Amino acid sequence: MALAQGNTIESGRAPSPAAAVRRRLSFARRRQLFLLLFGAPAVLYVLVVAIWPLAQGVAYSFYDYSLLRPAARSFVGFENYRELFANDAARNSIVTTFVFTLSAVTLEFLLGLGIALLLWREGAFQRVCLALLLIPVTVTPIVVGLVFRALLAPDYGMLGYYLAHWGISPTRGFFGDPSTALGTLVVVDAWQWTPFMALILLAGLKSLPTDVLEAAEADGATPAQRFRIIVFPMLLPAVFLALVLRTMDAFRVFDIVFSTTNGGPADATDVLMIYAVKQGLQFFNIGFASAIANMMIVCIAVFSVAFVLLVRRADRRANEPAQ
Amino acid sequence: MSKRPPTRVVAAERVALAAIVGVFLVPVAWLVTTAYKPTRDIFSYPPTFAFEPTLDHFRGVFRYFDLVSLVQSSLIISLGSVALSLLIGVPAGYALARSKSRRAVWVAYFFLAVRMVPPVAPLIPFYLMMRDIGLLGTWWAVILINTTLNAAFVVWMMFSYFRSLPKELEEAALTDGCTLFGSFFRVALPLVVPGIVASALLCVMFAWNDFLYGSFLTSAETKPISVALLVAYGTKDISWGTLGALAHFSTIPIVAIALLLNRYFVQGLTKGVS
Repeated sequence: MALAQGNTIESGRAPSPAAAVRRRLSFARRRQLFLLLFGAPAVLYVLVVAIWPLAQGVAYSFYDYSLLRPAARSFVGFENYRELFANDAARNSIVTTFVFTLSAVTLEFLLGLGIALLLWREGAFQRVCLALLLIPVTVTPIVVGLVFRALLAPDYGMLGYYLAHWGISPTRGFFGDPSTALGTLVVVDAWQWTPFMALILLAGLKSLPTDVLEAAEADGATPAQRFRIIVFPMLLPAVFLALVLRTMDAFRVFDIVFSTTNGGPADATDVLMIYAVKQGLQFFNIGFASAIANMMIVCIAVFSVAFVLLVRRADRRANEPAQ
Repeated sequence: MSKRPPTRVVAAERVALAAIVGVFLVPVAWLVTTAYKPTRDIFSYPPTFAFEPTLDHFRGVFRYFDLVSLVQSSLIISLGSVALSLLIGVPAGYALARSKSRRAVWVAYFFLAVRMVPPVAPLIPFYLMMRDIGLLGTWWAVILINTTLNAAFVVWMMFSYFRSLPKELEEAALTDGCTLFGSFFRVALPLVVPGIVASALLCVMFAWNDFLYGSFLTSAETKPISVALLVAYGTKDISWGTLGALAHFSTIPIVAIALLLNRYFVQGLTKGVS
């Protein structure tokens, strides 16, 4: 494995007599062996319990395999993947997921950036606000969905009643109408995850070099100019990090949808996770569900590689001296 | 920032922050208070805000749910998964941080990538695997699959904690005749206790709040409280009040722990990702 083949020469040590070198070498060997033994259980565990099932999932995706008729399992090649783009429900699910992800991450980013800037000043008040703001992150996602369903219910809901009464929400409530259900889920997701976005951006803001900021202030730059020319470009690595984390999470949203609309009304909120779970664990179309899951893995991999490249570029720029 | 800003600006910022915090806390406040609201006040039309507190819903929770068994399942699943994750994850994080191989970083990225997989992807084959070896419906199934994600998280967290620890201390201990294991256990490990607390806290939260794995891999006797919450909803007898009361045993403990250990929680959220 990777760890065992590390170099066996202690770096930065003065050369010592031959016997000592031999002892050192054997010590370095022993140390590598020790580290290998330390790392092996976790690697093995993940290989057996995560990678092996994932590999099986890849295999399943090439079969027409239904648990209802396990004997009729047959190899179909890329048929399940073709189905993903040919089938209306699957296509709708892909579009819905992308719309949800894009809107949720945009909303969370804009709100999160505002909140992070407000929290930037050092102080007890800001610390308490941050601690309280992080509460939504810890609430069980299933419960988040249920709470919003209750709050927004058009008949007895604390908010839903008035929203329906004043004609702001559709008569069947925000979750009951196909035109507003997905947007409502975006708001629910933003409620839970904007604080997290703000936290990552705040960590980025706090790591900015103060001398540059002070110099800009001394030069008489207005707050807006300082933000646009100095703060935001230097914050870009944190921005990309926050965006990639939330994009990957929003793309696999499940709990809040499952506990509010479960894909409906009609199929307005049928995101990929809901669709895959229904196909796999309710209708037992293992082959097709595996194809959906694998496509999601590919999408997430593409996002993360794209973002890593962006972060690298932003990092390089941020580290260049300001022009 | 350097210059003291005008008090007017600071005051405006505080008001804005307080308003935002208020908005974000409304749903949580509703969840807590609805547990003490008589059913007739929950379902009054139009909704009312004032109510006479009652403990009826807590009685309902004990009547409709086997609360002891639910909390027990959740505890077994989350503590089991955290223990296993720390046991294999902390040493692995140490090994990666101390390895001189350049490929160590790639192994660390491999663990990070495992965390990014959509949970449904391993779940379907894992479900069949557990069915075939007879573990479907047991706590083991949920603990095992939760541990993959949590262990990957712990490895990555501890990798960054151990890496920021100066090597010289361990080297000094080795020169003084300490064993390799001793230099890990008695020198490095005590210095990363905050990291371990932060990882454990986040792992407990992930496992405790998990719904997908719990709902498909457990049976009626082994189901955790997060799965039962969904049942506490919608039907006639079981009202929002029951949901609120049940949340006192599922959601509110986690919220309280995260608030109490806020410093570690923030560390876990920020360090676990960068």
